[in-house]
Amino acid sequence: MSTTTATLEKTLGIPPHVKPEQVFEFDIYADPRITDDVQGSYAAALRGAPDIFWTPANGGHWMVQRGDLITEIVKDYEIFSAREMQIPRVPDPPYMIPLSVDPPANLPYRAALMPKFSPREVAKLEPHMREIATKLIDEVVAKGECDFIREISSRFPVSIFMELMGLPLEKLREFRIIADNYFNARSNEDLARLGGQIMGIFSDLMEIRAREPRDDLVTSLMNTEVDGRALTRDEILAMCLVLFLGGMDTVTNVSGFTFQRLAEEPAVQARMAADPTLIPRAVEEGIRLHGVICTPRVVVQDTDKHGVSFRTGDMVLNILSQVGRDNRANDHADAFDIDRENKVHLTFSTGPHLCLGHILARAEIRILTEEWFKRIPSFRAKPGARHGFRIGTVHALEALPLEWDVSA
Amino acid sequence: MGRAIAISRGRPPLVQIHYRTHDGRSGAFEAKVGQSLMAAAKSANVPGIIAECGGSMVCGTCHVFIDETWFAKLPTAEPMETDLIDYGLYPRPTSRLSCQITVTEAMDGLLLEIPPSQH
Ligand code: HEM
Ligand code: FES
Repeated sequence: MSTTTATLEKTLGIPPHVKPEQVFEFDIYADPRITDDVQGSYAAALRGAPDIFWTPANGGHWMVQRGDLITEIVKDYEIFSAREMQIPRVPDPPYMIPLSVDPPANLPYRAALMPKFSPREVAKLEPHMREIATKLIDEVVAKGECDFIREISSRFPVSIFMELMGLPLEKLREFRIIADNYFNARSNEDLARLGGQIMGIFSDLMEIRAREPRDDLVTSLMNTEVDGRALTRDEILAMCLVLFLGGMDTVTNVSGFTFQRLAEEPAVQARMAADPTLIPRAVEEGIRLHGVICTPRVVVQDTDKHGVSFRTGDMVLNILSQVGRDNRANDHADAFDIDRENKVHLTFSTGPHLCLGHILARAEIRILTEEWFKRIPSFRAKPGARHGFRIGTVHALEALPLEWDVSA
Repeated sequence: MGRAIAISRGRPPLVQIHYRTHDGRSGAFEAKVGQSLMAAAKSANVPGIIAECGGSMVCGTCHVFIDETWFAKLPTAEPMETDLIDYGLYPRPTSRLSCQITVTEAMDGLLLEIPPSQH
């Protein structure tokens, strides 16, 4: 071991298999370089870091910021397993189906869930989604201002998701608070307690649906077979947990960040308002620019790749938002350019755990944006307002005060 | 097989795959024996093949229609593959997921059609 490595190890706790030039300090939960422009400031902060680097913060872990490397890692499940996703590691990590299950065991679960998330099913939901979007936006139009996060983007996907799952809408606020707490939780005790609360909600729901089946996801899972047997109660609950976490927060965050950016882009707004057929492309551009998930994997087999020694037990965090921001993948990656032909990103990841809800998520954001521009064709951020954000394995915007002119 | 297969020393042989798009354009691309039809189509930038999951059989966005005579010659699809096709927008009797088809020398000249959309 060289002296530099020995010194690093002593001062920062860098393990010996990490080379000194691979160390770059970054705190995924509280790095001071991150601003309200989360993805932009992330890209700026990591500009000098290697494509794969080791940060000593949060127990020490790898971070990966290049698209082809991330693609390789998330597909190479025999080395990089999804079975553990907490950074720092915890003794008894949450188990989610299909997210924590490596191939090929994940496939029957994906198949069980897929019907409700297929393009055809999503198309069926469209009129209802439009109704919910319209209602929420109509509530704020005349005021000339709103907190886009609190009044629109946190309510919209949650209502759709509850409906899909069969959850009662009266419980919306309560659910949202539990989800927020879950994403802020660090300790094993908190994760277990909040995970338990979420499971409790769905467990109650399963009891109700056993007596009164309905056309919702929970009822359908209770009647689905995998490998010729019914899903167990625990399996269904583990699926509900990831659906709950995936469906509650991500759409809120991506649409929040996209609208924060659009508020600074009057020329883009004008084009979208004048020609609504541009909206799907604008939405995809918003999705490219605003990845909100960093996906962790745990190394389960020692391997040397790309000059890096990955050792069993190392955590590896794939920073999906960096792919859309990579100038090697997208020209002028930070620019909001509706017309760019190929919008390269991994906002929904790829490989065996490719987001199950990506068709639904894209439809939700598109519909919300279409209905918004019909009523509010031009808007801006309220001057001087701080938005606030949360970073970690999920990036979120806390508030987005917008204003617009109201014609008398 | 009537057509010559390009073989160079130490490299996998190449075969020609022909395609038609739903709006009547056509073209061809080269595929290496042993790679997936999806991977070959992606490297050749064939329009309309998205392959969002990169061949992990969970996305269904590498869907193609195989010409009938060729379809019969392919190994049959696993149930999981047919399920995924059925959830898509344009399932047909000759539908396949191109990531699940490994290119062989016997596929030289295979004809496929790209569906109107993958989402
Ligand atoms: C814009 C919004 C969304 C984004 C950015 C997003 C992103 C992601 C990402 C990156 C993953 C992969 C995680 C990993 O590999 O560790 C994932 C998985 C997943 N997402 Fe989403 N998601 C979104 C919306 C949704 C919605 C609306 C749902 C369902 C209601 C959903 C359900 C899931 C599920 C079930 C998985 C696990 C899939 C598996 O493990 O096979 N997502 N999502
Ligand atoms: S590439 Fe995803 S199923 Fe074929």
